[in-house]
Amino acid sequence: MSGQLRAELLKHRSTSTNPGLFLAMFGLVLLAVLLHGLALPADRLASASDQVQVFRFGSLLGALFAGLVGAMSITGEIRHGTIRPTFLFTARRGRVISAKIVASGLVGTVFGLAAVGVAVGIGSAALAARGIAITLHGGDYTLMPAGGIAAAALWAPLGLGLGALLRNQVATLVAIFLWLFFIENLLIDFVPGVGRFAPGAAAAAMTGLDAETLLAPALGAALLALYAAVAAAAGTVATLRRDVP
Amino acid sequence: MASSVDEQPSPSPARTDGSVGEPVVVADSLSKRFGDLVAVDELTFALRAGTVTGFLGPNGAGKTTTLRLLLGLARPTAGEALVFGRRYCELEDPPRRVGAVLESNDFHPGRSGRDHLRMLALAARIGGDRVEEVLELVELERAAGRRVKTYSLGMRQRLGLAAALLGDPELLILDEPANGLDPAGVHWLRRFLRGFAERGRTVLVSSHILAEVAQTVDQIVIIDRGRLRVSGTLAELTERGRTLEQVYLELTGGGGL
Repeated sequence: MSGQLRAELLKHRSTSTNPGLFLAMFGLVLLAVLLHGLALPADRLASASDQVQVFRFGSLLGALFAGLVGAMSITGEIRHGTIRPTFLFTARRGRVISAKIVASGLVGTVFGLAAVGVAVGIGSAALAARGIAITLHGGDYTLMPAGGIAAAALWAPLGLGLGALLRNQVATLVAIFLWLFFIENLLIDFVPGVGRFAPGAAAAAMTGLDAETLLAPALGAALLALYAAVAAAAGTVATLRRDVP
Repeated sequence: MASSVDEQPSPSPARTDGSVGEPVVVADSLSKRFGDLVAVDELTFALRAGTVTGFLGPNGAGKTTTLRLLLGLARPTAGEALVFGRRYCELEDPPRRVGAVLESNDFHPGRSGRDHLRMLALAARIGGDRVEEVLELVELERAAGRRVKTYSLGMRQRLGLAAALLGDPELLILDEPANGLDPAGVHWLRRFLRGFAERGRTVLVSSHILAEVAQTVDQIVIIDRGRLRVSGTLAELTERGRTLEQVYLELTGGGGL
């Protein structure tokens, strides 16, 4: 493993930022899954598409928090000024960004794994406790976690690229929240033909949970990979061209 | 060691590396504009190995911008900023050639001092032993496990210096390193920088504390509003009994304040 990558992984490990984000994500997944799994009336949880409403929070929140991890890995350095020693030690800034993409992708994968795991485990337990039969198909049980984890792994470089472009930490985090929870919801509700191509919808498509509205899982994965590549490339170019703050 | 430090420049500091005569730092018609603001204006100076140079000028004169240009953190609008004959970003292994501290607080408050140094060392393939060595050198070994947010300003200055020294560089570029240091710390820093230069290495240090500068440096570069006002040895500038402060205030137009 390159020294640069080890340095980036140490940055992820050596502050309480990531544990804090992890706990927040864990709590939110737990809350959302339990509320939907326990509070919705049983007749509204009978069909597979209803049960999606319980399970989808794992991949949704996993992708969101992986995006935040990626965004924080660059905007945190800018905010605290560590970007200066970082680029003094590695003057080839592209190498730093590449290592950040890999490191935050790895951390994002762990976040995705945890979020999906909690959603599937707690969601299934909640339904079972109420005697509601789980109507998802066998294939859903591989695609749902795999897609959710892969979506989180891709959202990390997407957030990183956005952070490298915007540079301001609060602006970046607010932009990611607004986009995923407000703008994309509006798009899906009013212009679903456009909304299904948005990056959050592409992440959701990868789980295969909502095939009626969303793209096919493979297409969603390809599209999200494209978004991540474009954001990471744009963030890299901006970092190379602009003066270090 | 401290007693040998006086206001006379060392006549001919030992130069142990092979770069005799080659300037270590060169600013050549260096300019930096931010929109309409000209921060650095056609600045030209050169520093030789084995010297300690004081980089002086009023607030906003362009000192920090010049240092950022030399360190490759900002790109010149015109002219060149070179260290060891190259642009910083073209150096093979920058931390082993140049150590720099620009801000006294470039740390994540929640990270320990040791982890700050370890993450930089990893990126430059510098061993963990060296991290402990520089911690000991700046006397932070006991605080190294604590989060930086518990550090005083003087401790942060020393941690920044420790990071700059990780790669055992030949050139040190320091922006206001004495800020927040206690008298013992200032004394230590002065001896350290003199010793560094006596081993043939080079220091460029910006400062506002002229009395301290006069005790530490042998070369002076004064800029004002982005332009070079004077560059020369401390002895030349302070001949005929003038103090560095008198020279500085005359050149930067601050004498009437």
